[in-house]
Amino acid sequence: MHLTELEQSMLDGKKGEAVREALTFQLEVGKFFGAERFVPITNAHLMGDIEVMGNAGLELLRRLSNNNGKCAVPTSTNSRCMHFGEVDELRQDIVEIEKEREIIRHIKDMRAVPTDTCINYQTVYQPKLGEHVAWGDTGTVIYANSVLGARTNYEGGMSSFAASLTARTPAYGFHLDENRRGTFHVNVKARMRDTADWGALGKIIGHPNQDYFSVPVFHGIDEMPLSDHLKHLGASLASYGSMAMYHMVGVTPEAMTSAQAFRGRHPDNVIEVTDADINAVYSAYNYLEAQKNIVVFSGPQLSIFEMQNLAQLFEGRQVANGMHVFVTTNHAVWSDAMRLGYVETLEKSGVKILQGVCFYILQRLSQIREENGWTNLISNSAKLVNTITAHRFNTILRKTDQCVEIACSGELI
Amino acid sequence: MSLKLQLKRAWGPTVEAPVLVMKEGFSPRYDLDRWSGIISRVGHTAEGQSIVGKILIIPTVKGGVAAGWAFYDLLHKGIAPFGLVFGKLNPVMVQGAILANIPIADGLDQDSMLLLQNVQNIRFDPSTKSITAVNGY
Repeated sequence: MHLTELEQSMLDGKKGEAVREALTFQLEVGKFFGAERFVPITNAHLMGDIEVMGNAGLELLRRLSNNNGKCAVPTSTNSRCMHFGEVDELRQDIVEIEKEREIIRHIKDMRAVPTDTCINYQTVYQPKLGEHVAWGDTGTVIYANSVLGARTNYEGGMSSFAASLTARTPAYGFHLDENRRGTFHVNVKARMRDTADWGALGKIIGHPNQDYFSVPVFHGIDEMPLSDHLKHLGASLASYGSMAMYHMVGVTPEAMTSAQAFRGRHPDNVIEVTDADINAVYSAYNYLEAQKNIVVFSGPQLSIFEMQNLAQLFEGRQVANGMHVFVTTNHAVWSDAMRLGYVETLEKSGVKILQGVCFYILQRLSQIREENGWTNLISNSAKLVNTITAHRFNTILRKTDQCVEIACSGELI
Repeated sequence: MSLKLQLKRAWGPTVEAPVLVMKEGFSPRYDLDRWSGIISRVGHTAEGQSIVGKILIIPTVKGGVAAGWAFYDLLHKGIAPFGLVFGKLNPVMVQGAILANIPIADGLDQDSMLLLQNVQNIRFDPSTKSITAVNGY
């Protein structure tokens, strides 16, 4: 890789040991992908919590922090694995909670802002068309590339920290024009009514086409989708297909026309998605016989509009016996939802709201499931019903209003 | 009969170990019990099998940024795989493997994966971008 004078000085340790370690790591990643140079970034989004970092990751973070590593660009953090408030059902480990607090302390010392959110693109920072960033959560990455026209790869683990410390990242993948062209054509004939429908569409396209460098181009969207719709579509494509970008003709900024989206490339294939295809996604999930079940609105965290909608749907209703209901959002949205009365409405109905976490990354989730006797997990998030499966929930995707109905009636519809 | 297969891109030290061929995508977050090293996702084609000390042959990836830390965590828990060979991969797998010093490669085609189902142990040499069956197949 070509190094500038500044990058060479980083590699030589002249900018400190933490920066040297970070750039050395980035060089190896860049070499794997054949990157020829680094590209400067303006923003980083860190992914790191004790559930996934473990003691080894914590030790690495201590080293970076003790070596005076400082974020060189504005930097936010992804959802955490710990809810620090009292919630009967969770009972997270005290020792691990303290480690999570230590992670947050180090991150603050390194000048990152612990926003604890996987919806930074809705609440924290919206990079502009062509702006290079380094974001460490798949849902954030696909939203940045697709909806905002910014440029980032998946930057997991050490990678997002390294980018923040060096203010750069290797120029490969979605930083380069040639990888941002559409690769296949999706003709959407289905009428999209609910965020869950958008997630179902992501599953239909992502699951059989698992490829980071595939870029679907959606055609035929007849109503302008909302940010929350595109959030769920992207999160689902990233989850099922490991995809990092899509185009939507007439909607996303690099796809004002189909020709612009494909940039002269002939699509590899054409896929048509009808109402029947979307309905088939829902009907493929089967309930197991169970006394206790859980409804979860999470993955990604809820926006203020999603909180408002849920508050309206739950208003005056009660969560049924044998059902447990959880919502996750970030601190910023929670504060606004508190001010606006949505929190009170939801809590009065028996809904538990977790702040700064995402449900599927909760620490000791398998044990939490066992202790509470939960069998079926019902959600309007296609991503969540996919990502949580290592913990052996029986997952069910349903539309938002159906989820509320299930939660309040106890009937598994 | 000897079996030598070529890879597209590769990184890391040479290893020799038993092989576990998966028939579907893999994510350490979606599919793995990261406290035992056992594939725990209900219905995964490798459900119940251990990844510990194995060279994993994986057609595609799912998700996810978790791998960026997860392999490093598995390594320090003593339950890491010895190598990762993909058909198609994403950057997080590479970032996670490099952090954990686990050799990684991509570009293995479907036919080669089928051949490896009949193999017990392989030698994975990133410097030559190749895998070789140990003791034939």
